[in-house]
Amino acid sequence: MLYEVLMIGVMVGAIYTLITIGYSMVYGVLKLMNFAHGDVYIFGTLMTYTLLAKNQWHPALAILLAAVAGGLLAALVEIVAYRRLRAAQHRMISMITALGAAYVIQNLSELRWGNQVLPFPSLFPSKQLMVMGHAVSLTHLVTLVIAVGVIAVFNIFLKRHKMGKAILCVSEDISTSSLMGIPINRTMSTVYFLGGVLGVIGGVLYSSSYGAVSLGMGFRGTVIAFTAAVIGGIGSLGGAMIGGMILGISENIISVYVSSTFRDPITFLILIAILLIKPTGIMGKVEQGKV
Amino acid sequence: MGLLETRNLVKSFGGVMAINDITLDLEEGDILGVIGPNGSGKSTFINLLTGIYRPDQGAIRFGGHDITGLPAHQVTRRGIARTFQNLRVFSNVSVLVNILIGQHTQIQNRLYHLFLTPLAARKREKAAEKKALGLLKMANLADRRDELAKSLPYGEQRLLEICRALASNPRLLMLDEPCAGMNPNEMDTLADFIRELRAKGHTILIIEHNMPFIMSLADRIVVLDAGRKFKDGPPEQIQNDPEVQDIYLGKEDDI
Amino acid sequence: MPEGTVHEAEVHAVLSARSKPRSNGTIKKKVVGLSAALVIALVLPQVVTNTYWLGLLNFLIIYSILCLSLNLILGFTGLLSLGHAAFYGIGAYTTAILMTRYHVGFLPAMLASAMLALVFSLFLGIPASKVRGDYFTLLTIAFGEIFRLIAQAWIGFTGGAMGIVGIPIPKVFGMPIRTETQFYYLGLILLAITFVCLTIIVQSRIGRALIAIREDELAAKSMGINTPWYIIMAFTIGSFFAAVAGSFLAVYQTTVTPSNFRLEESCLMIIMVIVGGMGNLWAPLAGVLIMTLATEMFRSLAEYRMLIIGGIMMLVLLFRPQGIFGSSAFKD
Repeated sequence: MLYEVLMIGVMVGAIYTLITIGYSMVYGVLKLMNFAHGDVYIFGTLMTYTLLAKNQWHPALAILLAAVAGGLLAALVEIVAYRRLRAAQHRMISMITALGAAYVIQNLSELRWGNQVLPFPSLFPSKQLMVMGHAVSLTHLVTLVIAVGVIAVFNIFLKRHKMGKAILCVSEDISTSSLMGIPINRTMSTVYFLGGVLGVIGGVLYSSSYGAVSLGMGFRGTVIAFTAAVIGGIGSLGGAMIGGMILGISENIISVYVSSTFRDPITFLILIAILLIKPTGIMGKVEQGKV
Repeated sequence: MGLLETRNLVKSFGGVMAINDITLDLEEGDILGVIGPNGSGKSTFINLLTGIYRPDQGAIRFGGHDITGLPAHQVTRRGIARTFQNLRVFSNVSVLVNILIGQHTQIQNRLYHLFLTPLAARKREKAAEKKALGLLKMANLADRRDELAKSLPYGEQRLLEICRALASNPRLLMLDEPCAGMNPNEMDTLADFIRELRAKGHTILIIEHNMPFIMSLADRIVVLDAGRKFKDGPPEQIQNDPEVQDIYLGKEDDI
Repeated sequence: MPEGTVHEAEVHAVLSARSKPRSNGTIKKKVVGLSAALVIALVLPQVVTNTYWLGLLNFLIIYSILCLSLNLILGFTGLLSLGHAAFYGIGAYTTAILMTRYHVGFLPAMLASAMLALVFSLFLGIPASKVRGDYFTLLTIAFGEIFRLIAQAWIGFTGGAMGIVGIPIPKVFGMPIRTETQFYYLGLILLAITFVCLTIIVQSRIGRALIAIREDELAAKSMGINTPWYIIMAFTIGSFFAAVAGSFLAVYQTTVTPSNFRLEESCLMIIMVIVGGMGNLWAPLAGVLIMTLATEMFRSLAEYRMLIIGGIMMLVLLFRPQGIFGSSAFKD
């Protein structure tokens, strides 16, 4: 039993990592709480739902199209809503704008898909495998493998690709990067785009393994992403992974052994505790502001 | 006994010694100038004295009391006020309100006073406003009392910041590079203003890059280099000290 | 009072033609405006007799109390709290439970509600005052969600998703409050008390300390302001009055359900404050009026509600961040 719970926890953790990466990178660079993040990935997931369940597309094609659409939507939000406010405004203003953007996207999705829970088709065959004497669901295993694979590819992209390096540079120091000739606007749009793409992939994997998707999961996703980013330490891939894993595993243990009703309240309590004990996150460094 | 005494003050950031074993005395009524090349620890020093940073080692005594490690707001309450290197006036409120905020420690109104003894509270507010106007008059800012602080020209914002610090009725005023970014005219106004403060008996610690400015004002100069107290003496002596010239020139060669 | 007159004369002496100070003229204008508003507010239910409009007025009053109190946190102190609805909810639930189960009178129940909200806001405010701005926001989100989830899940105590129904008719000093008009006057008194209290606070040294924190927290500390203490103060005072509004909502609606206190509700309050203008005592009231009328006008477009709210939020902040009636609340 515990083994299975842990297995599902790790899978959910990997999915949360995907959802957190985009969020954490944006937050690390701009210190902007992107409230629209969850609604973007739910938009992509709902789109995948339509393509799969209604239009009978091939899953890979459906996910690809939805992921690109989600990425473009995220980039659009950045260009329309956030770019103008990037200059030294009071931070709160861009946060509230992000909240407004979240509502707009959420409402648009609601007009198309409604806000009820929709049955999401399972992407992988529901077989049981025997691994080291334990029954493992194939769905969970494949989901985990895909999630980890995407994270690995993304990591290579960051380290090797020119744009990936630019992103790392910008997240280190935005004004120096600009002086070094890195196109800030294009890099930022790319960060949002990739964050959206990864988020949609995470959302589709999540919905496929739970067999459901609903609009309400969007805001929850935003909070999960922020919580995971804070727990692990903001702005780093490793931090997103640690945070995502801790959340995924603890959530599953709580819903199985305590009560699924109190899963979210307890998650929030964990968050509050972490903020109080170590506000910089487990992997985070202490920032010393210049006076 | 000096008004301010530091004993073997040490502060490091991530292994780099920003302040290394500084012992210093400041007498009441003196104007002390602190100079030194970039990165010599001047700003860290002022931040230690005002409670923005905590020292790793050493002690700070002010007016005979130990203030080592006190948080910034309590240091201000004990009578140390400061300005900032990168100008930090409250830009979206009026000039007058800036001064009134500076008087925070001087106005005794607490929440219950406002509701239980409203008349007395009102009276204290009025008195504070009167005092604030007095300060603004001294800096020739009285006729701009209702303008937003950010609408003032740069030099006047600097003056406003000094007035705001004075509003807390400090026994020691610390100015962190007050002429940074000023034009020569504004600098003259500032120098006159500081002389006026000295005439009134204020004790002032000034960090400054501009040599002619600081040499003409200070009674005593302390030179910091790489976090250490390098020299300490009257302006004439420091000005003619070949070693002091060396550390400045040496630093410039490196660049 | 001779002292006062000397002072007035001095003030006038130093005024140049350039500055437009709070001269006697503007003070008079303010007094005239305030009394005119008061007279209109008092006479309104005699003119408006339609129950629908009276109901709308009562909700206007509730949101006015909420937004005035939120403005202390959001506009003056510069903290984005997304948990205001939770304190509104704590007020409503406490009053509902005390009045239905323990037959406590309305005024004691309201006072208890506000005090309970104050205690909870201390629980949240003490840690929240120690973390950076956005963590504060996250804490308030977490708190709001915990409150709502508990209200939904703890069926035995809060009635779960169905909420609490049949809250008795409130009596104020022995007088039962039944009709829309009576509720209107009760609400108006609560609003007036809130307004006066907040005005007194905002115009004092305390209000200035809050503004200093919003403008520059480090500089505020250097002015001798104990910033965590004042952040807690703004937060608890704001929550106290939010609970008063919740208490009024409970007896006015005679039911409370968790859906009254969703995150969306906190966002609606924020947008009302922003549309009016932050950091100014009066401006949020204009925001309340505009947003309530707008949502009522677009009632037939209920499915676009969030689109409209979100759209206005973005447009206002992108093109007029100081709000429609605000002067300049933020750094640029």
